[in-house]
Parts: sequence; structure tokens; C-alpha cells
Amino acid sequence: MKKIIFAFLLATGIAHAQTIKIGVITDRVGVSKPYSEPATEGVVFGADEINRKGGVLGRKIELLIEDDQSRPDISAALARKLVDQGVVFILSVSLSPATQQQQTVTMEAKVPQMTPMNSADYLTTQLQNPYFWQTGPLGSTQGATLLAHAKSKNFKKVALITDNSDLGQAIGKAFKGALEKAGIEIVADEVVARGATTAMPQMQKIRAANPEAMFLAGVLTAENVLIFRAYKELGVKFPIHSSYNLSVPIYETVAKGFINSITFVDAYDPDKPEVKAFVAAYKKATGKDSQNLHGYGYDGIHLIADAIRRAGSTDKEKIREAMQKTDYAGVMGKKGMKYTFPEGKRAGFDPDGMVVRVYEKDKQGRVVHVGQK
Amino acid sequence: MQDFLELAVSATASGCVYGLVALAYLLMIRPTGIINFAVGEWAMVAAFGGHLLLSRYEWPYPVGMAVVIAFMLLVGWASERVAVRPLVEKGAPLLAPILALLGVLVITREVISVSFPPDPLPVPFPVEIQYYKYFVIAATAMVFAGFWFFFEKTLWGRTFEAVALNRRAAALMGINLSRVTAFSFAGGAAVAGLGGLLVSPNVSAHYLMGVPLAIQGFTALVIGGVGRVEGALIGGLLLAFAEQLTIRYAPIPSGFAQAVPLLFLMIFLIVRPTGLLRARA
Repeated sequence: MKKIIFAFLLATGIAHAQTIKIGVITDRVGVSKPYSEPATEGVVFGADEINRKGGVLGRKIELLIEDDQSRPDISAALARKLVDQGVVFILSVSLSPATQQQQTVTMEAKVPQMTPMNSADYLTTQLQNPYFWQTGPLGSTQGATLLAHAKSKNFKKVALITDNSDLGQAIGKAFKGALEKAGIEIVADEVVARGATTAMPQMQKIRAANPEAMFLAGVLTAENVLIFRAYKELGVKFPIHSSYNLSVPIYETVAKGFINSITFVDAYDPDKPEVKAFVAAYKKATGKDSQNLHGYGYDGIHLIADAIRRAGSTDKEKIREAMQKTDYAGVMGKKGMKYTFPEGKRAGFDPDGMVVRVYEKDKQGRVVHVGQK
Repeated sequence: MQDFLELAVSATASGCVYGLVALAYLLMIRPTGIINFAVGEWAMVAAFGGHLLLSRYEWPYPVGMAVVIAFMLLVGWASERVAVRPLVEKGAPLLAPILALLGVLVITREVISVSFPPDPLPVPFPVEIQYYKYFVIAATAMVFAGFWFFFEKTLWGRTFEAVALNRRAAALMGINLSRVTAFSFAGGAAVAGLGGLLVSPNVSAHYLMGVPLAIQGFTALVIGGVGRVEGALIGGLLLAFAEQLTIRYAPIPSGFAQAVPLLFLMIFLIVRPTGLLRARA
């Protein structure tokens, strides 16, 4: 009996030694759950796909998934736990502040870490952590792309509306700065509080200011729906240009009938060949429809696998060097975009890689604008 | 002027929802002294019930609504059985059930959070969207009228009042205290649930909707006073008007306007700590 147990332990031990462990820090119950959950599904699908095709360097990928509830105080401890469990890479798909906190661990332990979706500009600039990369589109890129599209419309005066969440405020400020820089007058600047039951007074104020367009910087879905509802009830007609938050497909069901002709920034072009292939493969494997958010996680795990392949080993220093030399086309970004980290930069999403799309017939529709020009 | 009328209707509808949540608090506080912050989560549970029955299974609205309210009665009754009665029977201080109910709050939210998808979920409107506000106002008016009648005109309501005024004396008069407590929790959950169901077509059903409702309802309760049923409604309406009129008309940035209702609350607590309406002696 003892021999059998020993053999079993040995066998599982060997099987374990043969996998490449990759840590994933996600959010299952906190504020970024609506983003983190599909992204994590994308990671899992991507890892399965890689494993089905023989893995990386002949070894299978093993995901160790942890939930930090988007809380920075929990996040670093989980990064430490993953490092202790021997992961060769950490993939962060919860909130930007939580990802930032994990960096204190990965920098010290010299473990490669990347976020495929966080958008905060500061993640690669505040800490000089050579083991960290960011491939989600930066907040500033989102603002600039949206504004480039708006500029082509020659607006003189516009309204700005956001919510009182951290991210909503930050995007609102970025929009404000960009609009003012472009010489566009902001005639109304409104905030809808989390948990509000109506956005009627704010929209009335905006209607009274008579803008040519309204910029929406809010990120809270329920509150944004209140804004669209008031927009419809008040019968106003100015176009709405929205942040990247409207690229979350939930609006197609929860704001049905309110969203047609709204334009929004996205990092996803449904006509791109890589996207079509991904959508079909995801449907075939899981039976479910994929969203743009799945693409972030999918690209993330593929970028890591690509770096390990090029490094030719699981040595963390070699992986770091390989990652820095990334030149990879994934699901996200405009047609033909590649993730690269030129000149030692560690934010890898092409500043001209975002697109502006429009809602048509309650669905996220075609691309109407590309890049920042 | 048109703006003001539009806003008045919108504020009245919001005020009705706050009022219902305040009433839910009141129903439990009056006879037991227990402040139950889980009312917000109960409203959320009902909103998810609304999504499930009305949106996913497409039941007719009245049937779905009745089933959700019946379920909420059960939820309230069960919460009392599990989190309140054992503590009261063991003679624990008042703070114990309040804390136990905070536990109920967290558990409820987490259960909903892991059982449903993370995004806000749609709940359909029972009437055309432009008439929905009037529907909310009418439904709330009926509930408040019903409770007013119950407390003022029926013997059962009187026993609740008696327990509220003096538990010990009421018990000596042969009133069954635990039955009154059970009913007050069941009623509280049903009323909070109705509030959640009414607000859900507007704000969608989502797992973080409970806490803001609990705060708004509590503010309304403090403004209106815990003494009388009408107080909850008046408190709710005052709060909603204060919120929406400040955002619309006050010449301050709308980010700051959010603080005005809370200032209002603080002033009320200082000037009139018992609320607008006093309980009858």
C-alpha cells in the first residue's frame, strides 16, 4: 500500500513539475467583477487552447486563479502567495489600484507580471518595475481617440457627464482636460451619484445648456442607463460620445431601446480576421458567445505563452527579456495592430490602435473612426 | 416651468421609493427597536426576483409581483427566526440582533453576487415608460394608505402600536410579542421588496444596489421620524426633492450637490432629532 501511495505521489509530483504555473489575480465579487469575469474566462479559454495544441515548450499551462475583490490590501498578499507557489508569470485582471499594489511584490521577487486590460496611465510610469507590462489601452489613449473623432465633427460647445466612482471621476477629468485643450467649450459638467434613482435633474440642466454633443465619462452601468433613460424621456437629440465603458456588451440588453447611434471608444473591431477566428473558436469550445472583454484575457495568456516560447525556458530573467521584445498581433486593437514595447516602454497597446464604434439596432456595430488622427 | 413639473414628478417617484424603504425600517424599529440595515439587500433580492420571473421567464407582471412579495414575506420571517429571535430569547442586548442582521446583509449580497451574472440585469416596465412614474406613485400611495389604515383603524394594528409604546406592558396585556416581531419583519421585508421591485426597471437589478437604497431610506426615516407611518413617506419625498432640486437649480458644481441631502440630514438631527412627525403618546 505504502508503495502505491509513494508511486502516486511521485507521479503527481512529476506531473506537477511538468506544468508551467501562471498566476491569475481576478475579481469575483468586487466592483470590477463585470470586467474581470469575462476576461478571466478568456484567460481560461486561451490556456485550454494552448494546452490542446501541445502547451508551451512541451509543457502544459496550469492556471492558479486568485480573487482579490479589487482590493489593493488583499492583492499584494495574493501576489506573494502565487510567487511562493512557484508561478513564472502573474496575469492581473482586477482593478488598476490592485494591480499597482501587486507590483510591490513582483518587483521585489523579480517575477514577471502583466495586465492585459487595466487602463490606468500610471501603472508603468510610477514604479520603475522592469518585470511589469501593460497591454490594455491607456486611459489617455481612449480620451484622445474619442476626441479625434469628435474633432472631425467640429463641435464648439459640448456637455460632459460622469458618475462619482473613482474611475468615472478620473475619466471625466481626462475628457475635460482634452476638450479644453482642443478649445471646445464645456457648457455643462454634471455628475450622477452611485445609487441614484434618476438622472433627470442632470439631463434637464444639460438640455438647458443646449450643447451640440454630450460626452459620457461614467463607468457605472446602472447609472449610465439612468442617463440614457432621461435622455430619451426628455426627447433631446444631441449625439452622445461615450467612454470605453459602453463597449461592455451588457448595454445591449440592459439599455435596450436607449442606445442606438451612441458612439463609443473600443479596442475591438468585429471585422478583424483575428477577432472572427477567436469568436468562432470560443463559440465552438464553450458554446457561448464571446465579448470584447474575453479578448483581453485571451490576448494576455497568449502574450505570456509567446514570451515563454521565445525565451526557450521558464527562467524568469529570460522571460523578462523575451517579453520586452514582444511583437504580437492579437484579438484586441485595430486591424493590423501589434503589441510592442519599443524603447524600453512597458505599455504595449499602440496609441493609434483604438477605434470608435457606433450602436446600431441595439447592437455594437461598425467602426466609424480609427486612431488619434 | 415645464422643467419644474417634470422634475416634480420624477422627484415624487424617487421619494416614493425612499419612503417605502423608510417604511420597511419603521415597521421593524417601532415594535422592536431594531434597526435593520439589510432592508437595502431585501430590496435587491426582490429586484432580482423581478428579473427572474418577469424578464427571464416572462410571467405577467401582477403574478410575478405577487410571487416576489410573497417570497419577501418569507425572507423577512426567516431572517427574524434565524438572526433575531434566538438572540432576543437569550436576553442579548439590542445591539446583538442589529449586528446579526448586518451579517444577513453581507450573506444576502454575496449569495446574489455569486448566483447571478455580474452585470446589471434588466427588469421590464409594467406600463409604458413615460407613465411608469405615475405607476410607482400610485402603488406607493396604496401601500401607505393600507398601512395607515392598519395601524390606525384595526385591532391588530393597535397591538403593534401597544408593543411599540411599551413592550413589557403589552406583554402583560397578553399580546404575543414574538408574533408581533415576526409579522413586523415579514412586513418590513415585503415593503422593502416592493421598493426594490418598483425601482428596478429604472436602475436595473444589480448586486450593489442595496446599500445606497438602505442609506437613502434611512435618511428619509430620520427626516420623517420613526413615530408614524406618514413620516416615512414625507421624509422620502423631502429627501428626493432636496436632492433633485439642488442638482437642477443650485448654482454649485453637481459633484458638490450630492452632499446637500446629507447636510440636510445633519441639520435635522441637530434641530429635530425625533424627526418631523412625533409619535402619538
